[in-house]
Amino acid sequence: MNDDQPPEDIPRRNGELVFDAPWESRAFGLAAAYLEASGQDWEAFRTQLMAAIADLPDTTPYYEAWVVALDRLLATDGLAARS
Amino acid sequence: MSETHGHHPKPKTPTEQRVEAIEALLVERGLITSDVVDAIVETYERDVGPMNGARVVARAWADPEYRARLLDDGTRAVGELGFGGAEGEHLVVLENTEDVHNVVVCTLCSCYPWPVLGLPPQWYKSSAYRSRMVREPRAVLDEFGTSVADDVELRVWDSSAEVRYMVLPLAPDDVTDRSEDELAGLVTRDHMIGVVR
Repeated sequence: MNDDQPPEDIPRRNGELVFDAPWESRAFGLAAAYLEASGQDWEAFRTQLMAAIADLPDTTPYYEAWVVALDRLLATDGLAARS
Repeated sequence: MSETHGHHPKPKTPTEQRVEAIEALLVERGLITSDVVDAIVETYERDVGPMNGARVVARAWADPEYRARLLDDGTRAVGELGFGGAEGEHLVVLENTEDVHNVVVCTLCSCYPWPVLGLPPQWYKSSAYRSRMVREPRAVLDEFGTSVADDVELRVWDSSAEVRYMVLPLAPDDVTDRSEDELAGLVTRDHMIGVVR
């Protein structure tokens, strides 16, 4: 599909790979690690994700909405990443 | 990074740069380490997935008492098999019967029972699936190659803030002749979402 596709031989006990590119898995892992570190549950993130999906065009790739949601959560918590 | 081999590395997209900036910030603040992120990703890529749910379904098919406990309190019953954690705190198991077929969607985002099914497939998160499964479920199921007879009641369940759903598919006719391992091998992710009957 594109250059970011992982090689065929990656173990996939899930039946299919759940991430299309390394940055997607990174974005997932960062959200999980941050929630754990900040003592919040997924509900805090999910609220931002729903809002991001609603705000962005329907054609926005899912993990792009995910990154917007993570950015907004961090901003809410007073952590603004430099661009 | 050198271009002397004729490779032109694709420039990073703004989103990729954003992800890197977020990681750098969180590491710099001492909130996370990159190793922790690696471990989380590896867990969800390799250890958590529909093979867990398949074990649950096989046990429910083989053991009527377990099945009753599973339908009564999904979270607790999957916990008996060692499955639990984020997005599995309020698991409700929906039983398919000859007269009822259940199918699961999350209309607002991508809610999904991670401990038993892993992370959702791409199509589950698409706006097409999210909107159409509610509006025209039989047409969507048809596209998955699943036809549900007109006299079978179709129930579409929208994952809410709290509840995560998993479908308990119909057992095969020869269920008593098979081992639990064999039974687990028959169950797919799509059965447990309900897009396959």
